[in-house]
Amino acid sequence: MTRSESNTCNAGLARWILALAAGLTLLVPLAVRAAIPGESGNNFSLTARAGYISIADGGSVYSWGYTTGARMQLPGPTLIVTAGQTVTVTLANNLPAAAGNVSIVFPGHQVTATPNTGVPGLLTQEAAPGGSVQYTFIAGEPGTYQYHSGTRPDLQVEMGLYGALIVRPSAAATGCADAAHTAYNHAATCFDREYLYLLSEIDLDVHQAAEQQAAGPGPIDVGDGPFHPEYWLLNGRAAPDTMAAAGDPLLPTQPYNAMTRMHPGERLLLRVVGAGRDMHPFHTHGNHVRVLARDGRLLLSATDANQLAGPLLFTIPSVPGGTVDAIFEWTGKDLGWDIYGTTAINPHVCTPDINGYHSVASDPNYREWCADHNRPIPVNLPDLSVLAFGGFYGGSPYLGALGSLPPGEGGLNPDAGYAYMWHSHTEREMVNNDVFPGGMMTMLIIEAPGVLIVE
Amino acid sequence: MKNEILRLFSSAFTMDRWLLSSLMTSGLITAAISMLFVAFPASAQQSSINVQCPATTLLHPGGNGIKCGHLVAGDGMVTMADDYQGTGAGKPLYIFSFANLPGGDPLPGGAQPDPGQVMAQGMLAANAPAPTISVDEDDELFLSLTNVGMTMRPDLFDPHTVHWHGFPEAAAIFDGVPDASISIAMGATLTYYYQAKDAGTYMYHCHVEAAEHMQMGMLGNLYVRPRQNKLPAGTVLGTWIHATGNTYAYNDGDGSTRYDVEYPIQIGSFDPDFHDASFNVQPLPFAGMRDRYFLLNGRGYPDTANPAVLTTVDPLGNTQASQPVSSLISAAPGQRILLRISNLSVTQFFTLGSSGLPMEVVALDARLLRDGAGNNLYYKTNSLTLGGGQSADVIVTAPSTAGTYFVYTTNLDRLANDAENFGGMMTEIRVN
Repeated sequence: MTRSESNTCNAGLARWILALAAGLTLLVPLAVRAAIPGESGNNFSLTARAGYISIADGGSVYSWGYTTGARMQLPGPTLIVTAGQTVTVTLANNLPAAAGNVSIVFPGHQVTATPNTGVPGLLTQEAAPGGSVQYTFIAGEPGTYQYHSGTRPDLQVEMGLYGALIVRPSAAATGCADAAHTAYNHAATCFDREYLYLLSEIDLDVHQAAEQQAAGPGPIDVGDGPFHPEYWLLNGRAAPDTMAAAGDPLLPTQPYNAMTRMHPGERLLLRVVGAGRDMHPFHTHGNHVRVLARDGRLLLSATDANQLAGPLLFTIPSVPGGTVDAIFEWTGKDLGWDIYGTTAINPHVCTPDINGYHSVASDPNYREWCADHNRPIPVNLPDLSVLAFGGFYGGSPYLGALGSLPPGEGGLNPDAGYAYMWHSHTEREMVNNDVFPGGMMTMLIIEAPGVLIVE
Repeated sequence: MKNEILRLFSSAFTMDRWLLSSLMTSGLITAAISMLFVAFPASAQQSSINVQCPATTLLHPGGNGIKCGHLVAGDGMVTMADDYQGTGAGKPLYIFSFANLPGGDPLPGGAQPDPGQVMAQGMLAANAPAPTISVDEDDELFLSLTNVGMTMRPDLFDPHTVHWHGFPEAAAIFDGVPDASISIAMGATLTYYYQAKDAGTYMYHCHVEAAEHMQMGMLGNLYVRPRQNKLPAGTVLGTWIHATGNTYAYNDGDGSTRYDVEYPIQIGSFDPDFHDASFNVQPLPFAGMRDRYFLLNGRGYPDTANPAVLTTVDPLGNTQASQPVSSLISAAPGQRILLRISNLSVTQFFTLGSSGLPMEVVALDARLLRDGAGNNLYYKTNSLTLGGGQSADVIVTAPSTAGTYFVYTTNLDRLANDAENFGGMMTEIRVN
């Protein structure tokens, strides 16, 4: 049964309640967006500010971050620029004086500080407390980069002074819809949707020391203890907040979410950024990803530049300072059973195209793998009373079909998509301090083809 | 006596289950519900311990290619490789994990197991690592999971799952993530279904409360063997001619992943404080997790090189096979050794070094290293770094000189069994 039919058949009140509940927590109610949220252009004005972020265990963590607004945000705004353009970033230092100077470095780019702005620092020109500095660079090869403080990075980066930089190609590659759906100047890098996964950690000792000394004369002394993080963040949030809406007013300093949704057969671009100081194995349930690039450099075959050379991985090793771009696809190919149910319970046809998929875009089983068409699920599922259920379980094994669940179960997946966890496979990072689950974790939902995905 | 009690428990459970399901069907009449109940008539099940292993399937009407497994999930004890507090024996650690039943895998079309026997034999039988699952490409795997409960933690009612880590194009229902699907309660069985389509070195683990259940040891190896093993003798694979009995890691088409002997290398690590806290029903230190036993296939050196099955006396006084998998690598000079390496530590990356013998990495994450133009991207190295949830296939060619060689972590502080140096994550390659 498809989602639209389940609407027609009407699962009734229960479904309405589910949709309402999920609409509040999962969906951005205001605007449809097609791409990663951030600041587009070539002229940015950032301010380094202090503030607090929220963790789902009730924690409130004093942090520093870059922002374009009056309020700190973490991570800093995702800067989206176009290859070849001259980019100017002005940075004002509104941190407490004890924090000292602040700056930005843009790894992967040759940056010059505008003469007579800022004060000299070790890695770059810096903005003194109350002052500012201006940087200029030419946006380089398309890809995913990061930016972060180049001043006392052991303290300032830990405090939250980092963000992602996305360089888009100036034109669409052959076969891609447009430049905004082209990762690199290469036909094999087209994508339908893109998501950012910026990974970082929080060691409370550092943040508490900074908070306690913020009003003092500085410099802030954080001791020389070992680095022992208690919180692990995806796009500045710890699960389950990663799955709340982007721009959620309850998380005013953490505007970015990591809730991921797509349809079968789409190409989803992951931009994975290691912004902390630990390595994290980022595991994508559901399927392998094809690595396109590392650090903004497309990996191509040495003998045929039309062919990719990046590996297929089910766990992306993210390293500090590094980025990985990868493509994820999912169709349910070769499961051995029909994810839309047999035709006896859900009449539908599957006409294989040259690749074996049903390719009538208006059909609710668009992109079905026809070799498995009409095959029943080969096992009986146990009775509900001996099972435990997840909030993202729609109640049936079929894509887009809700099933029966005991009262109080389910509810986070109102369109009965297939839900998969994407998370750090260092599982102790899936906690908020001593509370499991949390941390560096989010969900992917493969929505049935007819479901409108509002990002 | 224990069996009888369990049978009683099991039938009482079944009655409750009936009551609940009839309540639910009468309460919520929707098209979706009726579809489910048409597809899965509850009356097909007599006991909640119901192992599904059909004699024939749509895909395999002749029965060949149907593989069945039956894992029990529960608790147990393992023995570390140190001399714990001068006792002359290793530190006993409480674990959660899976085990096979003594009767072996279910047979297609075979009889249902006795539910009381499953419970009695499954309790306190957990292994580290969990039993290895090995199937051929195109096999259908019916993998039944019975939750026998944690005997030493009667306060826990945890469900369990199997997450086939890395399964391509997975269905959420069989992915084992409790948040996204279903998990099985104590005293009951869930049968997972997988069609194995892609050769490689995978792993499996329980995904329920993953930071806890995986630190506690619910970690297994899972291998899919390539179709290429079954080619007719004489098939030309590039410069290699296939002979009956040749084995390969992947469908390489050129014989480049052929191996003579293969060994599992599951990287892992345990925090004894966490395990002791669990055993003693104390709050669990998640953020404070600090592993101190560094393991290959559930053992620290020198136990890794012990070819025998390790046993541990469980809290009820019974001797259980606790760590069945030796990491001793034996080969004749010149033989090609396939190491199927995975990292299932929940706390850190590890680097494995091979000292003088180069490792040729032919695959990562169950996929041959090959670019889109068909070039092999294999590389030789003496150090391989893997994070949790990564796997690699490496081929080591045994040198012509007989002797003992070492595979060990080059994170040298982890060559330790807790407080004891000269142990931990290391094993031997014996060439003779």
